[in-house]
Amino acid sequence: MNSWYRALHAEILKLKHTMALRLVVLIPVGIALLIIAQYISIAHYMPGHHAHTAAKAWFSLGRSTFVFWCLLMLPLFVTLETALLAGLEHNNRQWKHLEALALPRNAHYFGKWSMAVLMVICAHLILLALIPVAGWVLMFAAPTLGIAGVPALGPLVGPVAGSMLASLLMISLQMWVALHWRSFSVAVSVGIFAMVAGFLIGRSHTWGKFYPWSMPMQVFGKDAHNMTVAIWLGSVAGIVVALIGLYDYLRRDTA
Amino acid sequence: MFAIQTHQLARVFAGGQGVHGIDLEVPEGAIFGFLGPNGAGKTTTIRLILGLLQADAGELHLFGQKFTRTHRAMLDRVGALVEEPSLYPHLSARDNLEVTRRLVGVPRQRIDEVLRMVELDADADRRVRTFSTGMRQRLGIALALLGQPRLLILDEPTNGLDPAGIASMRRFIQRMAHELGLTVFLSSHLLTEIEQMASHVGIVHGGRLLFQGTLDELRTKSRPCLEIACNDSAAACVDLRAAGEDPEFVDAGTLHLRHSTRADHEVNRLLVEHGHAVHRLIRVTRSLEALYLELTQASSQSVEQPHE
Repeated sequence: MNSWYRALHAEILKLKHTMALRLVVLIPVGIALLIIAQYISIAHYMPGHHAHTAAKAWFSLGRSTFVFWCLLMLPLFVTLETALLAGLEHNNRQWKHLEALALPRNAHYFGKWSMAVLMVICAHLILLALIPVAGWVLMFAAPTLGIAGVPALGPLVGPVAGSMLASLLMISLQMWVALHWRSFSVAVSVGIFAMVAGFLIGRSHTWGKFYPWSMPMQVFGKDAHNMTVAIWLGSVAGIVVALIGLYDYLRRDTA
Repeated sequence: MFAIQTHQLARVFAGGQGVHGIDLEVPEGAIFGFLGPNGAGKTTTIRLILGLLQADAGELHLFGQKFTRTHRAMLDRVGALVEEPSLYPHLSARDNLEVTRRLVGVPRQRIDEVLRMVELDADADRRVRTFSTGMRQRLGIALALLGQPRLLILDEPTNGLDPAGIASMRRFIQRMAHELGLTVFLSSHLLTEIEQMASHVGIVHGGRLLFQGTLDELRTKSRPCLEIACNDSAAACVDLRAAGEDPEFVDAGTLHLRHSTRADHEVNRLLVEHGHAVHRLIRVTRSLEALYLELTQASSQSVEQPHE
């Protein structure tokens, strides 16, 4: 536990001055801006479109934001962050230094994996915190949408936590790919291909909940069964794949 | 006690390269020069010692304790710089050291100590991407020293340095070894470099250890030998052996006598009395370099022979 904490503590410092760290803030901010633009556009072209109550309007805004995030940006975010995290060691041939230290080898793997999970959690929380900001902007920019009063974020907390859990499988898979192959292009290609496939598979009522790159989106759907499957499968399989990735990492020679 | 002791340590890659049954003994407190041409197996040996590679066979002990990739706690007494330094160029020198400090868990003031040791304290807060090769190399050594090791493993630490940088690195390594009482295991393909720094030397070639011992023992091997040119050196070898000498057959007309018990003129008389026509007797002095080349070339030939 102590060695895992040490590795995570070191990972945090390694991110100083990096694009990987900036993306944790920039991507949620980008999503919030796109949602504001989309809602202003809806208010302009569909003047009759509004929620019946302010609470529903807030929930609708939050849900739309997270569906957009889970469908488009989360897979890309995970792809980039895992590739950049692994690249910190691949690019400068850091593994030989790290693994010549007395720390157990698994600490470096768990440090990386935990950092990727932490970044996804942070991005979710930043996006959640940006919803009131987006709502307040829309109160003035598009008052006809019915967003008013104090932000009602309570109903979103559960699905957001579920989305984090459901994304574990995607994180573990992308982390394994990024650590196994030194090439940034391989990790990014796999992620983009999986994300594009997720557009198609994610729409499937039957298969969407089983596809790692569309599991987080299922949490914001209306089917409770799909939501449960996505959360349980995503989190349990995520941990299993992380352990398989660890096995692969430990048996390999250090580059 | 030995800081490093290996027994039949082997790792062979596809294509046959690698190391084959290395028995290495590095005494504590020594500056051990691990010498060999490029591709001899120096870095592979170092990677095996640090657990970066899985050995196919053999055993490794560090400070008397058995070391494996899973039982690696004794690495807290080892600092290493393998090939070029592993640095995060986007971080400052201090932050690079802080990353390793967090991993090894030493007090924070240790960072300032090692920065002073490698004379980088004035540049501690500069990003590493602006550093020269020499500064990077010194920072790599600072990283290796951070955990207060008893054994410092340096793989070709002067690679890429200019002559002034090489001289400075040499002085630095000697100072570290003497002031901190470290055992230094230093690989190089340059004999002159090892000769100026090391107390002990190991010569590796084709993945095999050809010699290990003190530098003086190596010099003993290169003592002047008596080269004898005669009509039939094979028969001369037989007669000299019968007389208690230990000749070395060189070719059909030449033999070497390294540790003769007789004076040169007595050897000459002995051969003449046995009917040999002695054309020349000469004392040949071999430089360490010649000895090194002789050892490594002989090894190349013995490796190549089975394919002929």
